[in-house]
Amino acid sequence: MREIAFLLNGEPVELCDVPVTRTLLDWLREDRGLTGTKEGCNEGDCGACTVMVSDGSGTRTLNSCILFLPQLHGKAVRTVEGVSGPDGSLHPVQQAMVRHHGSQCGFCTPGFVVSMACAHKNGMHDFDVQLAGNLCRCTGYAPIVRAAEDAASEPVPDWIAEDGTLPAAFATASDGGVSGIAPESADELAALYVAHPDAVLVAGATDVGLAVTKALQEPERFLFLGGIQDLNAIDVGPKAVRIGAMATLSEIGDAIADLHPSLGELIRRFGSVQVRNAATIGGNIANGSPVGDLPPALIALGARLHLRRGNDRRDLPLEDFFLDYGVQDRAPGEFVEAVSFPRQTDRLRCYKLSKRFDQDISAVCGCFSIRVRNGRVNEARVAFGGMAAIPTRARHVENALSGQEWSETAIRAARDAWGQDFTPLTDLRASTAYRLDSARNMLTRAFLDDQGTDTNVLEVAP
Amino acid sequence: MAFDQEKDEFKVVGTRPDRPDGIDKVTGRARFGADATAPGMLHAVIIRSPHAHARIVKIDTSKAEAAHGVKAVVTRADFAEGLDGENWNILENLMAGERALYDGHAVAAIAATSSLAARDAARMLEVEYEVLPHVTDVDKAMQEGAPVIREGAADGSVPAGMHPNVVRCHDSGHGDPEDGFAEADLVIEERFTTEATHQGYIEPHACLGTLGPDGRGELWCCTQGHWNVQKVCAALLDIETSKLRVTASEIGGGFGGKTAVFIEPVALALSRKANRPVKLVMPRADVFRATGPTASTSMDVKIGMKKDGTITGASGEFRCQGGAFPGAPMEFTAMCAFAPYALKHVHQVGYDVMTNRPKQAAYRAPGSPMAAFAVESVIDELCNRLGLDPIDVRLKNASREGTKANFGPSWDRIGLVETLEAAKEHPHFSAPLAEGAGRGISCGFWFNHAGETAVQLALSEDGTVQLSVGTPDIGGSRASMCMMAAEELGIPYEDVRTTIADTATLGYNEISHGSRVTYASGLATIEAARDTVKKLCKRAAAKWGIDAEAVEWRDGCAIPSGPNAGDFDPMPIKEIARDMGKTGGPIVGHFEATPEGAGVSFATHIVDAEVDRETGATTITRYTVVQDAGKAIHPSYVEGQYQGGAAQGIGWALNEEYVYDDDGRLQNAGFLDYRIPVASDLPMIDTVIVEVPNPGHPYGVRGVGETSICPPLAAIANAVSNAAGVRMQDLPMRPSRILEALKAGS
Ligand SMILES: Cc1cc2nc3c(=O)[nH]c(=O)nc-3n(C[C@H](O)[C@H](O)[C@H](O)COP(=O)(O)OP(=O)(O)OC[C@H]3O[C@@H](n4cnc5c(N)ncnc54)[C@H](O)[C@@H]3O)c2cc1C
Ligand code: FES
Ligand code: FES
Repeated sequence: MREIAFLLNGEPVELCDVPVTRTLLDWLREDRGLTGTKEGCNEGDCGACTVMVSDGSGTRTLNSCILFLPQLHGKAVRTVEGVSGPDGSLHPVQQAMVRHHGSQCGFCTPGFVVSMACAHKNGMHDFDVQLAGNLCRCTGYAPIVRAAEDAASEPVPDWIAEDGTLPAAFATASDGGVSGIAPESADELAALYVAHPDAVLVAGATDVGLAVTKALQEPERFLFLGGIQDLNAIDVGPKAVRIGAMATLSEIGDAIADLHPSLGELIRRFGSVQVRNAATIGGNIANGSPVGDLPPALIALGARLHLRRGNDRRDLPLEDFFLDYGVQDRAPGEFVEAVSFPRQTDRLRCYKLSKRFDQDISAVCGCFSIRVRNGRVNEARVAFGGMAAIPTRARHVENALSGQEWSETAIRAARDAWGQDFTPLTDLRASTAYRLDSARNMLTRAFLDDQGTDTNVLEVAP
Repeated sequence: MAFDQEKDEFKVVGTRPDRPDGIDKVTGRARFGADATAPGMLHAVIIRSPHAHARIVKIDTSKAEAAHGVKAVVTRADFAEGLDGENWNILENLMAGERALYDGHAVAAIAATSSLAARDAARMLEVEYEVLPHVTDVDKAMQEGAPVIREGAADGSVPAGMHPNVVRCHDSGHGDPEDGFAEADLVIEERFTTEATHQGYIEPHACLGTLGPDGRGELWCCTQGHWNVQKVCAALLDIETSKLRVTASEIGGGFGGKTAVFIEPVALALSRKANRPVKLVMPRADVFRATGPTASTSMDVKIGMKKDGTITGASGEFRCQGGAFPGAPMEFTAMCAFAPYALKHVHQVGYDVMTNRPKQAAYRAPGSPMAAFAVESVIDELCNRLGLDPIDVRLKNASREGTKANFGPSWDRIGLVETLEAAKEHPHFSAPLAEGAGRGISCGFWFNHAGETAVQLALSEDGTVQLSVGTPDIGGSRASMCMMAAEELGIPYEDVRTTIADTATLGYNEISHGSRVTYASGLATIEAARDTVKKLCKRAAAKWGIDAEAVEWRDGCAIPSGPNAGDFDPMPIKEIARDMGKTGGPIVGHFEATPEGAGVSFATHIVDAEVDRETGATTITRYTVVQDAGKAIHPSYVEGQYQGGAAQGIGWALNEEYVYDDDGRLQNAGFLDYRIPVASDLPMIDTVIVEVPNPGHPYGVRGVGETSICPPLAAIANAVSNAAGVRMQDLPMRPSRILEALKAGS
């Protein structure tokens, strides 16, 4: 049977015959008796189950409740039990948490400790961002943030530093383990997927993970894409930017923020660190969600989607991929290989409205790329999430803006077009009226931002 | 047991040592509800009603019972019959009888060899429902024609002619508010509503239970009160209380929600049937659907004020919805409403209303935050319109020692004025406000509770001390207990180990609720230590051959004192402990009582908020909590309670709410859609500890855990209203609501 091999707190583990949809969290707690990692929600929302995962490309935090064992093949996993040293000596963040009284009930503490240890290792000091994926109901966070600040200047302990180097050697030793379900190249995936078009592709598992653990979906076969080497490149060329389907939101944020700062900010508000470290662009598009955050931004950038089935490749404007709620233009056995968009002067403005700044799904996500020549709108690309059953281009608004003087006039000219483009739903995130109002307000913001007025919706927690 | 005026110098109390369980918590070693296992353990799931209100026509368990791995299926028939009162309510809530009363109401449970097998079997369980009309809104539930949740549930307190869903009524006050309003220069009357919120503890309810055919059992669970769990399980399963031994795990937050019993009897019933240990862990969605929301409310408040700020009269009607059972904390809502003020004319009425929602559970000062929201909003509006300073007005009317409380008694020594004065002096109150920002202040009140308490203190042979208390540690109380014992015994903090004893090893202890732990277990710890000291002195006296009365205890040593005591070297605790086997046997101090003197507590909060006029989004930019702690044993944990209450209040005021659809189904049963604040939502909450000693505690301790959530809803609503220029009367103040109010206001 297939073998999954990884390092757990520095010790090699080899697993045969485990169900491929066993989550790391269940395995740790039930099979390994490592109960330090907690289950608070089993949905990726609370961070109580946070673990550190390292591979050649670095160390990151992930939520172990939506992480399947095959995704760990060839990597190094560290749980709270491994944050302290083999001889029991405490990690600086653990010492600081005790010293600053960072636990009240302490249930959230293991998750925080792992997030803090990872931020500490990576030298990250923006703790509001680094810790936004960890819920604490007792403390109000102040003592936790103080502990993180206090530990920041301490050196990274050896046992933590080791994770960065060990896996490479370890991964080669365990090469070829998870055959048949974890292709290592796009070609291999293409062949496997054509042969098994009913298989469910697992990228970062932040969506699929939920579907499986909640038993909404019980497919026969899974294909894990995490080991594919040639699907995660982000290529910033002179003419175009091409992003491989398996690039994570974290990686995209790092690579794109300079080109399109507003998109960088939008990504910063996508889920939490743990979610961004897992979630991929391919998954965010292929899941066809009406409230996915990347599609509106990518559509506004004029992106094209690159699909592949066997050796057949095709590409199409991203907006044409979404046909209807839950329906995409994707044939059986066909997968997303990449997304590309032209290199362009940055005109992109992204606005995300949600109840909370971090870790929240958009009620409305509006993205604008409005090009102005001689004071008039030359080209407008406007796309929204949360306004319809699929991510949608606001073509009436675009047309109404087109040729108008880029001023209040243009905004007025588009007034009625909003209703022609959208009849949004009322749901628990927002009402029809609130959605339409805010969509309109976002255009005003885009205009004001353009005039240099300092009103960025991204800097206010809605 | 009274306040010890002499004791004004502390060595340990008031310092900030590391907590004894600190390392367990940061290394993952601490064992919580779901962290226990037993050989042969089964995994259980509970099957819940998808309907808000339905008659259970039939439950067919046969297919589920035959499913792979299934060892037991239980329904209501597997529990005790003939219960009445609250035990019946608890049973009816944790396993439906004839009707499912809310979305998420348990109807059956299955135990199987794995959680997957249990989950698969759950889908084979066939339940036939006949859907009935439902109501989830408090005002609608009181209207004529609303579906009746339970016929005959109302008690004698309810005035004739009200809807049968109104099941209890509270009415109190003095004077005649109408006379007061006649004297006023301005009278404001407004309606306020608050939505149900959840305590939102991160640890889901979890337990591991074994119950043998002989009626003897063991239970491990996360609870705020294991003696209560023991008592309730015994009643619901018809076994003898002492035959069930309950151990409290570490508890991952409770805030009142884990004072109630939801799953433990179910696990034990399954175990009894399967004759195997059964583990039951609630999925997060079940936690939201079937445990602990607080009451939602609809309130009318009317207050009259003179131009000089004197409140001339106040009245309020508080309608609290507590789900499909009696018990919404409307009497607390009514009594807390005007508690901060000394009023000549005051009248408050509360109604307990049943709806098709989960049975409400206590949530940090149950009922009080909503009352403060309504009352303090009206006071803020009066101050605005009369051009008065909000703190001066509150000071002018403040309750003080000796003034008559709105609900009857005269106040003992209380610290409201001191919190107001401290707030007024705090730099926050006078700091300039950014343009478009608003500042809000509010007072809040909570009673605090004492309750039945037993503590035991045993000396080890090396002179260290083992303290057994019976109140689960929900926020660092073991540290405080160690400190108080160390203070009395004159030994280092590190020499005391505090354990939460199980039900078989200590006398009855009431739940960790009502902010009682540091007060009551603390008092009992001090008394148990004093009892120990007496015994220590006696041993020393015997060794020295002098009278016990001639021995005094100082700095961890027995010393001779008094004219005829003689001249001996101090005898340290370690020496007495070493020899105790030979000098009379083990030395154990203890204390049992139901103390009466839990001092009430008041707080004043100051909040700055900014409102984004285009999106309606609010940012809390600064927050200061000022609260009377009586005496802060471990100031860091007092501050922790202050910050935690304020943080929960911020969530409640701005974002958190139960959202039901037209079918009465809960729409947001998960953390992704039920938004509790994350780090980036909150400012670093500032705290000021005011210490006005409680006359009913040797060190002056008052409970601090709950009062901190009383002012935030009002303080934030005042800040937001002042920033937005419109009065916000409905919580939560989500962005869309603020945007609507801004639109309507302009
Ligand atoms: C706590 C939490 C917060 C979240 N917050 C946000 C948010 O703020 N904004 C947002 O947009 N989303 C959010 N999400 C949703 C989710 O994280 C994203 O949609 C994510 O991008 C999905 O990517 P993935 O790699 O995890 O996809 P997976 O879950 O692995 O896959 C998703 C779907 O896409 C398919 N798929 C994956 N890769 C491919 C491919 N290459 N070709 C074809 N099909 C493929 C899978 O089969 C599956 O059907 C959140 C989720 C969670 C749990
Ligand atoms: S358990 Fe909550 S994020 Fe995994
Ligand atoms: S300390 Fe209790 S949840 Fe964080």
